[in-house]
Amino acid sequence: MTGPAPAGARDAASSALFATLDLGSATTAAALVGWVGGRWRLLAAASLPAGSDPDAILTLLCDRVRVADPGLAGTLGLATGPVPAHLPRFVVRTARPPRIAVVAASEQTREQLEAIAGRAGWLTTGASAARHDPIEIVCRATRAGIDALLVGTADPPEADERSLMEELVAAAGAVAVRRPGIPVILAGALGRSAPVAAGTDVGVPAAGDVVLAPGPAAGDPAGSDLRTLLVDVRAGPDDGRRALARSAGSLARVLGRRVEVVDVGVSGAVRIVAAPDASTPAGVRLDDVDAPVGALLALDGPGTIDRVEAWVTIGLDRARLRDRLAELRLAPWSDLAGDGAPIRAAALRAALERLLAAGDPLGGAVAPDLVVATGAFGALPGPAVALVLADVIRRAGATQLGLDTARLLAPIGMIADDAARDARVAELAEDILLPLGTVIVASGARPGRPAGRVTVDADGAAGEIDLEAGGLALVDLPPGQQALADLRFRSTVELGTRGRHFLVPVAGGLAGLLVDLRDLPGGLPERPDRRRELLAGWERALWPERSE
Amino acid sequence: MSRVGGVVGTAPAGLGLVPARQLLVGAPRVVLAIEPGDRVAVTAGTAVGPGELLAERVRDPRLVDAGSSRGDRATPGEWVPAGEHRRGGATPAGELLFAARGRRRVVAGTHPDRLDAPVRGRVATIHPGAAIELEVEGVGVPASAFLGDAVHGRLVILPAEGDARPALDVNLAGAIVVFPGRVDAETLIRARAMGIHGAVVVALADRDRRDLAASEARQRAGLHRLAPFGVVVLDGNLRRPLAGPVAAILVALSGREVGLAAEPALLLAGRSMDGLPLPPPDRVRLRGGADVGAEGRWLGPAGSRRFAPGIQAEAGLVELDGGRVVVVPLGDVERFG
Repeated sequence: MTGPAPAGARDAASSALFATLDLGSATTAAALVGWVGGRWRLLAAASLPAGSDPDAILTLLCDRVRVADPGLAGTLGLATGPVPAHLPRFVVRTARPPRIAVVAASEQTREQLEAIAGRAGWLTTGASAARHDPIEIVCRATRAGIDALLVGTADPPEADERSLMEELVAAAGAVAVRRPGIPVILAGALGRSAPVAAGTDVGVPAAGDVVLAPGPAAGDPAGSDLRTLLVDVRAGPDDGRRALARSAGSLARVLGRRVEVVDVGVSGAVRIVAAPDASTPAGVRLDDVDAPVGALLALDGPGTIDRVEAWVTIGLDRARLRDRLAELRLAPWSDLAGDGAPIRAAALRAALERLLAAGDPLGGAVAPDLVVATGAFGALPGPAVALVLADVIRRAGATQLGLDTARLLAPIGMIADDAARDARVAELAEDILLPLGTVIVASGARPGRPAGRVTVDADGAAGEIDLEAGGLALVDLPPGQQALADLRFRSTVELGTRGRHFLVPVAGGLAGLLVDLRDLPGGLPERPDRRRELLAGWERALWPERSE
Repeated sequence: MSRVGGVVGTAPAGLGLVPARQLLVGAPRVVLAIEPGDRVAVTAGTAVGPGELLAERVRDPRLVDAGSSRGDRATPGEWVPAGEHRRGGATPAGELLFAARGRRRVVAGTHPDRLDAPVRGRVATIHPGAAIELEVEGVGVPASAFLGDAVHGRLVILPAEGDARPALDVNLAGAIVVFPGRVDAETLIRARAMGIHGAVVVALADRDRRDLAASEARQRAGLHRLAPFGVVVLDGNLRRPLAGPVAAILVALSGREVGLAAEPALLLAGRSMDGLPLPPPDRVRLRGGADVGAEGRWLGPAGSRRFAPGIQAEAGLVELDGGRVVVVPLGDVERFG
């Protein structure tokens, strides 16, 4: 990665060593960060299945520091014994996403409310008075596993909604009585309606149990006010995905670049777009979508298994694939090796597709300067992660790719003060981001013929590669290497801008430079065997161990 | 120092790195789902035994207007007795769903099906139309999934054999049967038809789960009065041997009255944990990889290793039963907590 800001001075009051813990629903990730040679450095990190004892992992990491550098261990107070009890820790948690019952007067409003809740980190179960009878509405909203109730109308209510408002409020009351303690959120005009004011006559719980929320269209963009409230209801102060968004903002400020962070977890997923913007008080414009539908194993939706099947590069019948994925849901860390790895890679591609669809049009069509992957991506080798990102994020332009392999970003987001967090991120940027390389996506090359040529000039040594439309060209460019890619096409292509000749600065990484002229996913063959062969070919090029 | 299964010893190095699978839950609280219109037959605090009626389930519930709610302080969920309209029409008894626009809306219907207590316990709370929570006097064996209804019966363990369709006979009617080997939907449907109350299976493929659910839905659509039938799945979807420590507990419970419940998925027994066999703390099982299902002894962490195809992962050393020592990713190991 290039261009971290100058390292900030160490806070004299802080310890010379701190730990980070990212306690997810599937993974417990721990890291030790120490003050070494006048700056903060990542000393050791490990990720293990959730349920492993965090102190046992930290003790393991302390042992590793001792073995690697006994002198440093002594300096940092790790000479002997288990992890020090007084060790400062930044801890974040990500739990399985809660489920909210969404009840609306009309189908249109239900869809709007479900979409907003689905982007605020909630799983949803929907019903509408227009489509379901009151018994079905109450049944859906009182099922086991429902953690909150959102009832709403448009604001102002549509004509067909007005007559149903009293019945909706009564249904909310019926749910609240049957499921005491769950938050009841009344959105839009419903919260100001006469039945709510009347309260107990229709069984509405006491005012203290009810949250009055903005309507589905309030805010800029529409729905953002309600989404903010729903995030507040769901997330605790140590929520990992909120903390990750704060760190993404710091990364964008520190690097002065447009950063996109994609975190695909086993049960949740978040996509954050952060861009430096001097016109905002925080100096950064931050958009995010927290969409459980983009989780690695959120496979209950229609067509979700089809998409995993479309990306799988090993021969596996559909029933067997379903069972393998169901097993992963029970034990997300099992079968990490062997053919479990390509199945994970396929599930990751499908999950990333869902996450991007849920966030559309977040970030627009412009390729970000840097994409940082975290979460389940850490289970794959770096080059395989680069290919997954290149396969799914299809925005024309040049993008650097990085992997938050030690899962430091979210815990560092627990530093509340922007300046202090920025300083820590600046010092640790090179340790946080494992460089995967650069992907250049060009679209519009005429298929079936030579597309042009790329010349990569790194430290005066130049290499040339012919480019073919529909193909993926790989240029070996090791981590830390900066270079200039000179791309000359035979016809006009789209690469952020339209043209035939482009000079693009690129950075190396585990995958090197990928010049991607593929038409994905639309250009993949319909026949499963041919599609699998094509995908496996690209996979083998970047992940040669796959064919061993 | 730790004390598990009556053995005092020092925990082996790095055992805390291995995720624990809970073997037993003491005095669990189970949630039995009911729906609006179901008639609850108990009150909070009532002591119940296995097979005692908790609620009568409504079949084909319908919403009826039970007259004006003006001056009526009834809250949703209360049972409204049968009555008469001012206009002279009769209204059936049912559960007040809610009152709106000055009218009481009641869920009524016939109640041909029973919800019985799956095990001895005490009714903790009742949420009308939603759930009855039962505090179990005994222990639960956690499972990964539950299909069907809460049931109870005598626990019978069938012999472990390779045949997916083991012999089932009428002697097993009313029992909860453990299938230690392979099982498919057809076997389970046959078991239900023979009056077996429930099944405990190690794994069940997704296709078999859907076939079983579809068979039950077909019978319900035919308005047959279905005897309750429940299935707990101890592991997952792919076939593997029954975990030794779980098998030992099932053997200890064999012949006793047990129950199955859905929320959480548990096999329930009305007895204390005392005397139930527990494994030594370093007993582990492989739940993935080439040796899936194999068990052995945890030897310690093996550091960060590279596994095919190029996967870097924290690893552990396990001595399998039989003496072979393997290095496996920690994600493929589970211990019993």
